Amino acid sequence: MGNERSVIVSGDLVSAVARTVPWRALAAGGGAGLLIVALPRLLSDGPPDGWLALTLLRTAALVFALGLTFLLDDPARHLTTPVVTRRWVRSGLRVVLVAPVAALWWTAALVLVPHGARPPVGAVTLEAGAIAALALAAAATAVRLTDEPEPGPSVAAAVLTTVTLGALLIPARWTLTAAVGDPRWGAAHDRWAVVLGVAVVAWAVCLPEPVRRRSLLFRRRSGTLSPSSV
Amino acid sequence: MTPTVSASGLSLRFGGTQALDDVSLRLTSGVTGLLGPNGAGKTTLLRVLATAVPADRGAFTVLGYDPATAAGRQEVRRELGYLPQTPGFHPDFTAFEFVDYVAILKELTDRGARHREVRRVLDEVDLADVRGKRIKKLSGGMRQRVALAAALVGDPGFLVLDEPTVGLDPEQRMRFRELIAHAGEGRTVLLSTHQTEDVAMLCHRVLVMAGGRIRFDGTPAELTARAAGRVWSSTERDPGAKAGWRTGTGSFRNVGSPPDGAELLEPTLEDGYLLTLDDAGAEVAAA
Repeated sequence: MGNERSVIVSGDLVSAVARTVPWRALAAGGGAGLLIVALPRLLSDGPPDGWLALTLLRTAALVFALGLTFLLDDPARHLTTPVVTRRWVRSGLRVVLVAPVAALWWTAALVLVPHGARPPVGAVTLEAGAIAALALAAAATAVRLTDEPEPGPSVAAAVLTTVTLGALLIPARWTLTAAVGDPRWGAAHDRWAVVLGVAVVAWAVCLPEPVRRRSLLFRRRSGTLSPSSV
Repeated sequence: MTPTVSASGLSLRFGGTQALDDVSLRLTSGVTGLLGPNGAGKTTLLRVLATAVPADRGAFTVLGYDPATAAGRQEVRRELGYLPQTPGFHPDFTAFEFVDYVAILKELTDRGARHREVRRVLDEVDLADVRGKRIKKLSGGMRQRVALAAALVGDPGFLVLDEPTVGLDPEQRMRFRELIAHAGEGRTVLLSTHQTEDVAMLCHRVLVMAGGRIRFDGTPAELTARAAGRVWSSTERDPGAKAGWRTGTGSFRNVGSPPDGAELLEPTLEDGYLLTLDDAGAEVAAA
């Protein structure tokens, strides 16, 4: 047995955690996303224009991210709460296992867009990464703040609502969804980088389980929202 | 006897609800029952002792380890088996795979030894014949035994069981009692239940909780003795009784303060429990 500082990540742990990943939800998000990007190919002979291709890629990234909101769902959460393997190890492993799949999926989505209509790959990949990180941060926050074993559906609804309202309500000068060639393109992607950074920090903060109750937030919550260490 | 678990002043508040209020206890080897109505704080106490949620105030140790630090919590978890009220499973796992998964999370790293241990606990809960069957194909009682096997894997010194017999038919409940009694040999078991029969049959000691506080701590016989001289029979329901009901013989069994000359009956553990809750309610009202 290891001491408290050691982290035992065995092959058995990796394969066991891999079996608990909600692959169906991820496959649904990924499949729907690819279908959205492929729509112009399926419905018309000509290539899509740049604006349509960008919009479809953004939509596909959002749909895949909605699948990612289910990543930390764990029906056996209550039973596996007080185990030796810490939560951040288990959650981190899930992300590590899904990361190559997500990269492959995004590559496929980009390839489905004809070369001439494809937006700048780096910039649009930053957008997709930020949306994915936002989804993971939201899932980790739900796990940290509630006892719900499978918060995925609620988190997906919250992410979808937030992104939709954000797209509608953010003032034009702070827009995140600039078109290619728009003078605000560069500034918008600076903001995407900030979104990515904040989401990653929020995710990292919510991963470990609390040893003590410190936050005033927890004390003000109702009984249905309790700090969880699962 | 050295206590396995020693807790003092545990308090925990969720919003406006004082879920635990200055709870102190010491648990020793054997099965200790935890009785109380819904909302009494039983599950919260069990979750705190299982290191699933930290308390606001107070401290406790399990086998000398203090979970107030990350290192101590890890050590407590090495000694802990936990069966929550709603265990939840990965339904596509077989019984063996699921218990093996929990064993991996408990850091039983040697695969051969771990598989032997998984087979041992599945044998112990009488699931050897269905260990290759998917959990979604098992009955509710069998799933509950899978969860118990997951709690027992690794031979923990402290076992926390939250209402394990809820939803089981009488035969399954009896089988589960046998398993809990066996599990309590040589280790400390804290059993939360609504069933006074569970406590009467299994426990060497019983705690009664209400309003987040421990209202009684003693043996089942002592809890039963609280109702001595406070249970009586009558032909009609006695309006002065705290509780009264018609029995199968047609007479009424009343619990409370009997009138002069009443025909007193032998009290049961449930009578003692009801009167303890009633006293606790009066205490809260007076406060």
